[in-house]
Amino acid sequence: MINVDVSQRRKFFAHGNVYLPHVVTIEKIVEETYDTKTFYFNFKDKRLREEFTFEPGQFALFSIFGMGEAPFAISSSPTRRDHLECSVRQIGRLTNAMHRLGVGAEMGFRGPYGNGFKLDLFEGKNVIFVAGGIGLSALRSLIWDVIDNREKYGRMDIIYGARSPADLCFKYDLDTWETNEAINMITTVDRGDENWTGRVGFVPQVLEQVAPEPNDAVAVVCGPPIMIRFTFPVLEKLGFSPEQMVTTLEKRMKCGIGKCGRCNIGNLYVCRDGPVFTYAQIKNFISGEY
Amino acid sequence: MAGNKKINKRDIGKLLNEWNQGFTVFVPSREDKVTAFAKWDGVNISFMEWHRNTVIPPKTNFFPLMEEMFSFREEEDGYHTELPSSDKHKQLIFGIRPCDAKALSILDMAFKEGYEDPYYLSGRKDSLLVALGCTNPYDSCFCASLGGGPFDSTYVDIMLIDIGDELLIEEVTNAGRELIARTAGLEKVTEVDEARAKEVKKSSYNKVTRKINTEGIQKKLQACFEDKDFWEKVSAKCLSCGICTFLCPTCYCFDINDDSFKKQGARFRSWDSCAFPIYTRMPMENPRSEKWRRVRQRVCHKYEFFPTDFDVIACVGCGRCIRQCPVNWDITEILNNLPAKA
Repeated sequence: MINVDVSQRRKFFAHGNVYLPHVVTIEKIVEETYDTKTFYFNFKDKRLREEFTFEPGQFALFSIFGMGEAPFAISSSPTRRDHLECSVRQIGRLTNAMHRLGVGAEMGFRGPYGNGFKLDLFEGKNVIFVAGGIGLSALRSLIWDVIDNREKYGRMDIIYGARSPADLCFKYDLDTWETNEAINMITTVDRGDENWTGRVGFVPQVLEQVAPEPNDAVAVVCGPPIMIRFTFPVLEKLGFSPEQMVTTLEKRMKCGIGKCGRCNIGNLYVCRDGPVFTYAQIKNFISGEY
Repeated sequence: MAGNKKINKRDIGKLLNEWNQGFTVFVPSREDKVTAFAKWDGVNISFMEWHRNTVIPPKTNFFPLMEEMFSFREEEDGYHTELPSSDKHKQLIFGIRPCDAKALSILDMAFKEGYEDPYYLSGRKDSLLVALGCTNPYDSCFCASLGGGPFDSTYVDIMLIDIGDELLIEEVTNAGRELIARTAGLEKVTEVDEARAKEVKKSSYNKVTRKINTEGIQKKLQACFEDKDFWEKVSAKCLSCGICTFLCPTCYCFDINDDSFKKQGARFRSWDSCAFPIYTRMPMENPRSEKWRRVRQRVCHKYEFFPTDFDVIACVGCGRCIRQCPVNWDITEILNNLPAKA
């Protein structure tokens, strides 16, 4: 039996065809770091600007016509609807080409895909966000959603790390969260520089030092695979059960809808059953990889 | 079945000509020494003498090696996309084997589940499968171990049984019955014909000698998922050439790419294979860079993961992956020798 039912997911197909992209225009570009940019998009189709909605944690397939498609998390919050944001690290062929695009350029967009975060799992709980590098972009949507509905949740911790101060993304968000009294914001870097006065240390180690209480809590983890792999054991040590650990995964994808085959972990497809999983769902496969 | 009809083999050409009116008829054909299904040329019926399944499975009729998904062009007001024209004719696949028909039913599940795949399903809709039972299975065939058989008619519209100079025609579905009802020149069968057909079926079934034991196969695979030594041993000779996946009637993995020149182009999809390291490669990591993980993925997808999702093993025992493998990799050998959990 298939674990997910996509019939309830919001669908915005172009001409009824799930593979046909909508045309979106780049409205603004924010330079996050030396290798990461956040693109602000809007639909060319005015009706879609009104109608399009998604869940935090869902992703979309972005494409440059003639170059190809790749999946990216929608990093803006569904509570802020005037445009869509997506943060892209310059790392492969398509992302390099995206970084050469300017404001006004058009791209293809199809989505939203994936399950997103189950908000009812978090409501009334303390939420601990653990993110590394560009991984924060996949949690940012949920973080803003939680902030915009702050009364529904308990304590809120954000532990965010990057390789160096120059690799920290969303600095403008970090500053806002830092000054927000309802958030315990901890920023760390693997290696500081001469100007860095903040914390130094790998994310899993810092998490162990901060030692959030597991009672009535959910930990949401996203970052490079190596960080995720070292973070789960720390959470287990702190007393979190596998059901209390949530992550959002990234795999090579082509279709985004559970057909093309490559993003599976066992019988689960990251695009169809994920990208959000509890550790309980994937731990049997993650030890020996997949 | 008293209502069954028959046709003399030399009249097959006439029959196909008639069917070619309402359908586009595809038959087994040979091109560059490789057999595959191709549009009937209106003359050649030599495939009637092959008695063997094609090298390339008829999944190509609905899921071609490469197909355009849409075209795009850049104009002054930006990009425009256009879907390919959908004037697909209704396809009649003549001479499909029971295993390949079952394989299509498996692809149907994969392409229908969740988000529907419009390209595959539009071709499958209204297609008709006229199967030719296998009187001469290969040594490498093991359909009987997977609930099928050389004359399994579960997934076909019409089943043809070779009873010598003639083909006995069994109507299976309503669509098949309707087609036969409006087909001219068919003769009624005699009791002798029916007895002969029964005999042919039985003796053909007995020719499928290769067996696998599918009992508890999912559990067995789960138990040895982490057994790196086992998977390394069974994948040692694999060349990662991917031929087993390309020729597999139930493999449906694909890649999506763009092609463009100046201001216009197309997005197309093409077959891909879990045997290739780049299939899962990302800029920073590759979960299946090692060969044993890819071989494990292929075996487990068919016998563990797909059955978890759809309650059916995604293998029909056609034996192509055994026959066509350049290094004689043999999935039945692996499945019959899974390590018992210590």
